Amino acid sequence: MVKTKTWIIIISAIFLLSLVFSLLIFLRPRRAGTAEIYVDGELIRTVDLDNDETFTVDTGRGVNTVLVSAGRIRVIDADCPDRVCVKSGWLTGSAPIVCLPHRLVISFSSDTGGPDAVAG
Amino acid sequence: MRRVAALFCALLCLASCSPAPKKHSSTLFAMDTVMELQVYGDESVLASSAELIKELESELSATDEHSAVYAFNHRSAGLSGPALDVLSRAMDISRLTGGALDVTVYPLVLAWGFTTGQYRVPDKTEIAGLLEKVGYEKLTGLTLPEGAMIDLGAVAKGYASDKVVELWREKGVTSGLMSLGGNVYALGVKPGGDKWTVGVRDPFSDGLLGSVEVENAAVVTSGGYERYFEENGVTYHHIIDPKTGYPANSGLASVTIVGPDGTLCDGLSTAFFVMGLDAAAETWKSYGPGFEAIFVTDDREIYITEGLESSFSVMGSYDKSDVRVIRRGQN
Repeated sequence: MVKTKTWIIIISAIFLLSLVFSLLIFLRPRRAGTAEIYVDGELIRTVDLDNDETFTVDTGRGVNTVLVSAGRIRVIDADCPDRVCVKSGWLTGSAPIVCLPHRLVISFSSDTGGPDAVAG
Repeated sequence: MRRVAALFCALLCLASCSPAPKKHSSTLFAMDTVMELQVYGDESVLASSAELIKELESELSATDEHSAVYAFNHRSAGLSGPALDVLSRAMDISRLTGGALDVTVYPLVLAWGFTTGQYRVPDKTEIAGLLEKVGYEKLTGLTLPEGAMIDLGAVAKGYASDKVVELWREKGVTSGLMSLGGNVYALGVKPGGDKWTVGVRDPFSDGLLGSVEVENAAVVTSGGYERYFEENGVTYHHIIDPKTGYPANSGLASVTIVGPDGTLCDGLSTAFFVMGLDAAAETWKSYGPGFEAIFVTDDREIYITEGLESSFSVMGSYDKSDVRVIRRGQN
């Protein structure tokens, strides 16, 4: 016959253990982050935002020049007609950078803690 | 006591062992914008959703020479199929809003260059001449009055979102989210049981002004910030008031509509932007339940209808004190 007290100890142990593990998961050091570059819906490159660099993306419909600096990312040049992608500036959590004519999308990888979608 | 403990252990195990449905997502370019679809569970539904959207685009586009709408505008055919369905939905919204949404405003949109990007400010005589061709009351699905043309763009994405949700439901998808170029539709709730969080763009910056928690609802925003040009220091945006022929100047910077009917939300966001706060609030009061609204004025005030009181929260540079609630019982 196992006593109630023993059960309480077992359950508390399980509870404490799960608490420790969830803390370990939540508190593990986060990477500065990565961004993903898509052309026509295909992931073509994952960018480490820790490394400052400038590179070009040949989308097949035109070329966009991307700058990574101090953990941020933006398009600095493009041969598309409207250059909305250049004018949109640094990538923020609220909306991806989009170059419609070149079907290029730049967004942060995984969740940034922001909303699930943005209307507008 | 022992039974309780055993049950507790079983529950713990259940909570940790039940597999979360897998998330599948895809991006497509259609209707002049970028679209993101994500569903939990059945991945094959993504491809058929994309196909459905492309089909609708090929029927509803005003600029595609092979579309039903193009043929109708160029007098080579009457409307049928989805285009006729969308037209009749748009006409309902026109009647509801006293013509603030009007699919026959297209000749003016063309004159301002918003379809091509060749922006220009038409002179007064040209606008007056084109205004004579505007008027949804003269429309039937069979013929167009001389000189008139229609554009279903103000409801096409909302309609597409309704059709995609319909498809998802048929295929047994219970949780999914789409953004058709900022026209958001959230099906069900997230796999964990939480509601979906949908951000609302701040019309005055790149950020968000707030977010709303939804399930089974569309969230659609219209604002002058979406497309505009400047000439001689004056900003002209793309939402043309069918009464004046000029960009709507009603004191609103953006309007967001939340509700289960994506087509209605899409059409009303445009119509309310044209109508202005007071007339839009009256329309909301007399409509009864069915949708809720978030208005942002040019003075950066936020007005929400009472159904959003518990689900809307502000963020960024906005404060709770900037938000006013519109109630049905009030004037």
